[in-house]
Parts: sequence; C-alpha cells; structure tokens
Amino acid sequence: MKNLDRRKFLKSTAASIATASLLASCEQKPKPQEPLTQKVGGELDQLGMEWDKSVCRFCGTGCGVLVGRKGDKIVATKGDPDCYSNKGLNCIKGYFLSKILYGKDRLTKPLIRKNGKLEESSWDEALDLVASKYTEILKEHGSDAVSMFGSGQWTIFEGYAASKFMKAGLGFVSKDGVGSNHLEPNARMCMASAVAGFMRTFQSDEPMGSYEDLEHADTFFLWGANMAEMHPVLFSRIIDTKLKNPRKVRIVDLGTQYTRSSEEADLYLEFKPQTDLAILNYFAHYICENELYDKEFVEQNTIFKKGQDNIGYGLKDGDGDIPKNAGAMYPYTFEEFKKFVSTYTAEYVSELSGVPVEKLVEAARYISSKDRNVCSYWTMGFNQHTRGTWANHLVYNIHLLTGKISKPGNGPFSLTGQPSACGTAREVGTFAHRLPADHVVANAAHREMAAKIWNIPVEKINPKVGLHTVEMFRAVDNKKLKLMWTQVTNPFQSMPHLNRYRKATEDKGFFLIVSDVYPTRSTELADVVFPCAMWTEKEGAYGNAERRTQHWNKIAEPPGEAKTEIWQMYEIAKRMKVEGGKTLADIIYPYSKENYYKEMWEEYRSFSLGIGKDLAPYDVLREKHGVVWPYVGKTEEVNGKHDFTDVWDNLESPEGDKDKGFVSVKWRYNAKYDPYAAKFKKEHPEHKGDIAFYKAKKNGYKATILAVPYEPAAEEPDNEFPFWLCTGRVLEHWHTGSMTMRVPELRRAVPRAVVNLNPDDAKKMGIKRGDLVRVSSRRGSVVFPADVNGRSIPALGNVFIPFFDETRMVNEITLDAYCPISKEPDYKKCAVKVEKA
Amino acid sequence: MDRRNFFKKSFAVSAIGCASGFSLLNFLGGENKIYFRPPGALSEEDFLAACIRCGKCIQDCPYDTLILGSAKDGKSAGTPYINFRETPCYLCEDIPCIKACPTDALDHSLTDISKANLGTAVITDREACLSLNGIRCEICYRVCPLIDNAITLNKQENKATGKHTIFEPVVHKDACTGCGICENACPLDNSAITVIQTQKGDKAKHYFYLNEGVTS
Repeated sequence: MKNLDRRKFLKSTAASIATASLLASCEQKPKPQEPLTQKVGGELDQLGMEWDKSVCRFCGTGCGVLVGRKGDKIVATKGDPDCYSNKGLNCIKGYFLSKILYGKDRLTKPLIRKNGKLEESSWDEALDLVASKYTEILKEHGSDAVSMFGSGQWTIFEGYAASKFMKAGLGFVSKDGVGSNHLEPNARMCMASAVAGFMRTFQSDEPMGSYEDLEHADTFFLWGANMAEMHPVLFSRIIDTKLKNPRKVRIVDLGTQYTRSSEEADLYLEFKPQTDLAILNYFAHYICENELYDKEFVEQNTIFKKGQDNIGYGLKDGDGDIPKNAGAMYPYTFEEFKKFVSTYTAEYVSELSGVPVEKLVEAARYISSKDRNVCSYWTMGFNQHTRGTWANHLVYNIHLLTGKISKPGNGPFSLTGQPSACGTAREVGTFAHRLPADHVVANAAHREMAAKIWNIPVEKINPKVGLHTVEMFRAVDNKKLKLMWTQVTNPFQSMPHLNRYRKATEDKGFFLIVSDVYPTRSTELADVVFPCAMWTEKEGAYGNAERRTQHWNKIAEPPGEAKTEIWQMYEIAKRMKVEGGKTLADIIYPYSKENYYKEMWEEYRSFSLGIGKDLAPYDVLREKHGVVWPYVGKTEEVNGKHDFTDVWDNLESPEGDKDKGFVSVKWRYNAKYDPYAAKFKKEHPEHKGDIAFYKAKKNGYKATILAVPYEPAAEEPDNEFPFWLCTGRVLEHWHTGSMTMRVPELRRAVPRAVVNLNPDDAKKMGIKRGDLVRVSSRRGSVVFPADVNGRSIPALGNVFIPFFDETRMVNEITLDAYCPISKEPDYKKCAVKVEKA
Repeated sequence: MDRRNFFKKSFAVSAIGCASGFSLLNFLGGENKIYFRPPGALSEEDFLAACIRCGKCIQDCPYDTLILGSAKDGKSAGTPYINFRETPCYLCEDIPCIKACPTDALDHSLTDISKANLGTAVITDREACLSLNGIRCEICYRVCPLIDNAITLNKQENKATGKHTIFEPVVHKDACTGCGICENACPLDNSAITVIQTQKGDKAKHYFYLNEGVTS
C-alpha cells in the first residue's frame, strides 16, 4: 500500500512538472475505487484544469467523456463514468480525442479560389460571395439547382439549422417559391437501409432496445459487423458477458472475412458476398419447419407481406434501372410465407453461400432456441448492400417470428457508424425525403405541421422528394446542380465511383462550398472553404445508436477565425434579402442571442412530442450525462398529447426521473417500460402480451414480416475481375482519416491503408506481405501494400481495403450501385483484379 | 560473456521497474548498449567477429530499417543494428539482408522469416499500458505480423466498470520474432511494449508437466 501511494505521488509530481504529460497522467487515474475528483463545470482542479462533460467525436457508440480545459484549449479528456453508454471507458481513438483539435494544419481563415488557387480571404468577402452565388442561382434556376451535403457528425443543432435553411428557407429566395429538398447527410451511405427497414417494419425509426441488452443477452449474432474494431467499447461488454457466463453465452459471427470479432466468436460463418439474404431466409425456414415460432406473438403482433422482387441496382442515372414499385409490399399469409422460405433449405443455402450445412444448422439452433436471449447486431455489411433494406427486413423476420424483441436481452439492433447518425441524420431528418421526428415532405399533414412550427407558409415547403446522395452527385456530373455546400464530411474521398464525381466538380458552372476543419480531398476541389469550429469548440449535441441524446457546452475557443457551421448558415441567411425588408435569417433563425441554442432545441423538440419520439427538454440535456428517448412526460401538459397517469405507477424507468414526471424508455414497444405501449394495452384490453407495436397503425398495430428472396449482387467477379472487393474501417482510424491521421500516435500505429489478401490467393499470385499490389476495377486502379495473415483475413477470392487513407483512395475503384429502396450505396461488393505492381 | 549476461539481467529488471526500457537503452551508449541485429545474426560476439562491416545488408533492406553503427558505437562501428522505435523489421519473406551478407554473420540457413529471433517483445510497463488500463487499444496485437500466435489477448473482467473486458496483450516467446513492429506502433510516448534480448528458458530435467512424457 505504501508503495502504491509513493508511486501515485511520483506520478502526480511528474504531471505537474511536465504539461506535456497531462494527458497521460489523467488517463492513468480512472480506477473504480477512486471517485470522480473533477467537478464538472466547477472550479479549477489541482492541475489548473476546468472540466465539463461531452461525448466522443467518433463512432455511434456515443461514449461519454469529460473534457479538461486549460486557458482556451482542451488539454485532457477522461471517460465519463456517469454516462450509461460507456461507464467511463474509451477506445484508443477516444483516448486521443484532445489531440484531434490541434493538428498543425487546422483551417483558420476562409479560402476563395482565385485563378485556380485557394487563397485566404476575409469572412465578409467569402460570405458575400457565397450568398450572392446562392441568390443568383436560386433566382435563375430555382431551388432544384442547389444542394447541401451534410453529415451524421453534424451536431443536432447544425442538422436542424441546415434542414431549415434548405427546406424552410430557400423558398423565400428562389424563383419557384419552394424550398429545396436536395439535402442529404453522409449517413445515407451508412444507415439508410436500417432507416428503411425500421420504417417499413415498425413505422418508426431506430432500434427498440438498449446497450443494456449486452448484459442481458446470452446469444449474440454479428452480421457484417466487425464489432471488435468498429464498436470496441460495446464489444468489450459482450466479451465481459461471456466471461461471466462462458457455458451459456455464444457469439456467432457472420461475414466475408475473418476479423478480430471472428477470433472471439464461438461460431464463425464465412459466406460468399450477398448470400446473407439466403442464410437469413434459411433461418426463417428452420424456425417455421421446426415450429419454433412464438405462435401467440406472431398472431398478435405481426402481419405477413411479400416484397416486390427484381428491383434493380441503381446503376443508371435517374434511378433508371429501378422499377417504380421497387418498394411495394403485397398481402401475404403465414402459410404462404412458410412455403416461400421452404425453398431455402440448408443444402441449397450451403451450396449458395459456401457455409457447411452443420454450421448453418448450429447457428439456426442458437438463434431460434426458446431458452436463449438473442440479440442481433449489424452495421455496414447489412446496410451498405444493394439489398440492404431486405437484409434489415430479414433479420426482423427472425426476431418477430420468435418474439425475441423489445425485451431485455432480446432484439435486433442496428449499430450506427457515426456519432449522430441517429440524433442528427435520422431524428432531425436531414434526408431528401424527411422532416424531423419521422415526418416526411411528401405528406401534406406533415408539411402543415412543420410550417406551423417553423412559422412559414406551407407552400414554401417542397412536397417533392429531393435527390438522394448518389443521384445528387450524379446531378453534378449531369450539370443539373449548380451549387453544393458540404459540411462536416469529406465526400470527395468517401463517395463510391469517386473518379466520376471528382471530375464532375471541374465544371465551371458548378460552385462547391466546403465547411471543414482541416484540408481534405474535398476542400481541394472547393471554390470556397469555410474554416470551422469542431467538437467542443462549439455547443452541440449528438444522438447515439441507443437513442441517447448527449449535450455538451462550448468548452474551448476555435483557432484563428474558425467559426461554427451554425454561424455560417446564419450569416449566409442574413445576406439573403426577402420581402418586407427582412432577411432570411429573421425568418428561419428567429432565436435570441442569449438563448439561441435553447430556443432552437425547444422548437425542434416540439416535432417529437406525443408521438413516441419524445426528446428531453434542453435544461435536462444540459444537466444529465445523456438522456435516452422517448423521454416521456407523465401528463398531457408536458408531452403535448396524452395523459399517462393511469399507467404511470407500473412503469419501470431504469435511468430515473420518474419522480420528476418523466420516464426514459429503455425498451420501446414494451408495456413494462414504454408508457405508449402501456397506454395502448389499456385501450386495447384484448391485446395479448407486453409488446405492442403502437406506431404501426397502418398495419393494425402489427409489425411486418416480409418475404423477399436472395438476389445476386450488382457486380460479381468474372474472368477479367476475379475478386470481390470489400471496403471498411480499422479501429485506429475514423472514416476518411482527416482527424485521426493528424494524431501522430494513431498515424504511427497505422500509417497507411493496405490491401488484405487471403493467404492462399496471395501465395498463388506470389504476393508477399509488404509487396505493392495493384487493385483495379472497371472504374479505376489504385496501388496498396499487401497484408497477408494480418488482422483481417478475407475469404478466398475476396480482398479488403480500408478507406481512411487520402493518399490511396479505394473509392476510386468502388461501385456506386445502391439499394433501390434505401438508396444506400454498396461499398462491400464489386469486382476487381489484383496484380503485383 | 558473463559480463553480458549480468548486464542483460540487470537491464531486464530495471526495464520492468522503470517507465521505459527504451529510454534506458538510449541512455546507455557505445560499449554498454544492446544492439538489436538483423534477422539471422549470430550471437553478439560471433556476429562482431564475422561481420566485415560491408554495409550490404543495410543497402538491401527495403525499409531502411538497418542503421549503420558509427564511430561512437565503438566496436559496433560499421555494423548493422535496429532501432525499433524508428523503424522495425518488417520480416520480408525473402530476407534480402541475409541474402546480401557475404559472410555468415547473418545465418544463411535461416530461410523462414517467421523463425527469426531478433529478441522478444515484452510489456515492460504494465502500469502505462493502455490496454491494461482498460482502454480498447491493443494496437500491438493488431499490428503483430504473427497476430494470434506471437501475441494473443488474455481477457479478464474490467473491475473498474464491472461491465467491460480488459484485453491484455500476451507475447509468446516461441512465436515472437522480435521484429519490433509492436514496439514501433505503441501509441505511448515511450513504448510500453519493448523488444528485449532473451535466451531460451530451459525445461528442467528433474520435473515433468502433466502433458509430458511419463504416463501411469
């Protein structure tokens, strides 16, 4: 004990001597027995730092962090033990959070392209130029000629301000008098298939469960999700659950390459790309054939439908090869469904997928067993899929048939890739077809509601769905779009079929504005670059995968003249004159200077109240370390629509606040936790069981079980291009690397992208680790060093390449085919050839 | 020989107790410095005798891993050595350094690079190691060219949260080549995992393990 104290003493002395080691000393501290000594929002601690709460800037897990400020700079972070999502833990990216702000080449001044070169300018010059471009194009071509491409890394405030700018605002300036729905988040490339799946199945977006399922479940299915690397903190909870109950807990990993997740799995099913659809149908068949479905649950809570098949791949501009009825669902019966899936026998699916029959059967047994609590987790392997919406449906089918849903330890759970893919992209609805809280532009009543909240004439909201992401970039190439503003995203590294879209920006008639914090492969193409405040240099809020909204205050000052995106949009709107001597900013941003964010939040929140999407009030968010929605108020006065007094007492609210008249719903659709479900049961006494899909009104409050087949991928290997190419991430780097590649330690750890090869393929081609290899597709060719037998081992005939490396961009060879329903591109499958360079 | 053994032992002990074995290495210079040699190098004394200081291995190393000893390196002047933190050995399968060696200073009978033995990686600072502190780091494990053989993960409950796992990287001496890629990649200012020179621990002749030899 004495020794320990001595060591601690030495450590803290060292820390006070060297400012540079502040970070390290702080990270050494969090131990269970030591309570949090840093008082959030309080006075300076012994190291002269002031602490506040925030959330990690990277993945969709939403790890809470405490942020230490010294002067006007962030000097340290620490995992937030009071945040339910991570309980104080971080991964190595989160560990280096404080360093992403201070890369040497932060953008600190606006840039304008003059004579082909980006030159520094004043804010006034840059803003005047952009505002005049907007006005000119809107007056001449109408609102169809402008677009905005945002992000699942936008704060909720930014996404909301952007949505108002495009959907509510531009109609006041454009010649056609309607706003533009050409607003998309990069989240289209990340979880649009999950959105489509949730909406079509439950008529309400986002998962029903919570991260607590990770402790309650005993059977984990990972579908196209290398959770060990991409959601490291959550994966560590699965392994802990397994350590505590090794005899029972089973992890089943299904994928096209052996990953760090496969290494930890009990059962690994390696399948041929695209055949996940067949495997899922086999599981449904196994459940039906062995009568393992929950009869009462299926009768009470589900409705069967058949999906339109043969729906195309989005390979022709203008959704050219996609039938109009691609998303159609037709009436069907359970008996017809059973017959439909009966063709997916173990033998047939084994032949198609390459998975041995025994493994298929073993997995089917785990997923359907009556004495197992089953959770399915998936990410991009499902979502970035030309049949991504179907894949999502098919996994719901399993959980709906077995009734393993909306209960602690049971449920389908789509993990999000981005920190606010849920909070901003989905909940604010920064998509071409959406409005906040699951409302859509095509619905007249929804437009009415939005117009009322936004205090604008309803005609200003464009009822026509805008261009989805791929179409938006194709419209640049087809010279239909004259202007694009990108924020918090780097599409000219991350779009598939990159060469086409990079080249499209060269057109003189196209004006590109890029708001970012560092020079990227997108800023290099811009006509104007706005330098931005990032992360805790501005007030913000993110919404993570378990529906948790996490707010943070502005903690540090942005460098130089960098400004928030909120300010940038305000300044552009201020420069657009509208009738009556007003500016556009007066109309769309009517918030007071003192309470700008609070007023914006409460306005936004009003979209969500009373419909089972209830967000927490601003003051609660500021105080709490993350709040899960629905955060439902007890009385009509609070929630805007219902009185829950009669069901209130029996509700369980694991995260508290019930005494304050609010419950935070951890398992939606479950009457034990969800006041809406409890109310529904009360009003429908004939309804059996605790689960009630009260949002699915159109289907008689029943979730949809959809019959859809296996269909091949858009581009499959052939003689000329004999390999499947799959792209993705590594633990150490985030997306296009614009932040993590500026952290010297992360860059040192993984300095470049490599192509992972199957050892047998490599041997056949005489390729050794470290050899330079040319990977080519019909769209381009890029050289990577080879990695063989490394952290990822693709199946025979497959290669894997991460996309973080801006010096060798794998997206120059990927294919821009997409799911005809969700419009999400498939980054996981295209045909390439591999040669020694 | 004895002197070196003695030194090795004291080095290992102080390296484990000290914040960083690597900075210790830097601190010691010339005669007392431990030189990590290219794959296939003979034992230090034999190597120094056999190496003709021609520099050909250094010339042929595609990654510029090998450093040329300078005058201050005393009798190692002109010989090749490795600073893992600067550039580790990337274990070329065709082993160009050995091919280039005109003598037997680098053993030409080594043809399988995974059998190379430059040293053994050890987590020399368990207190500083991020993975052992519960951070999901494990970079050393994932960058290991012999992942799951030379380094594996030992999983234990993270008592700090009660809900997470500590993934402890564990090095296996039999498989570890001492290439130093892990030491190079460690994100700490001073690597918590360092390559040290080790000798093979002898299996005692007076005791048999459960899985060995004699059956009843």
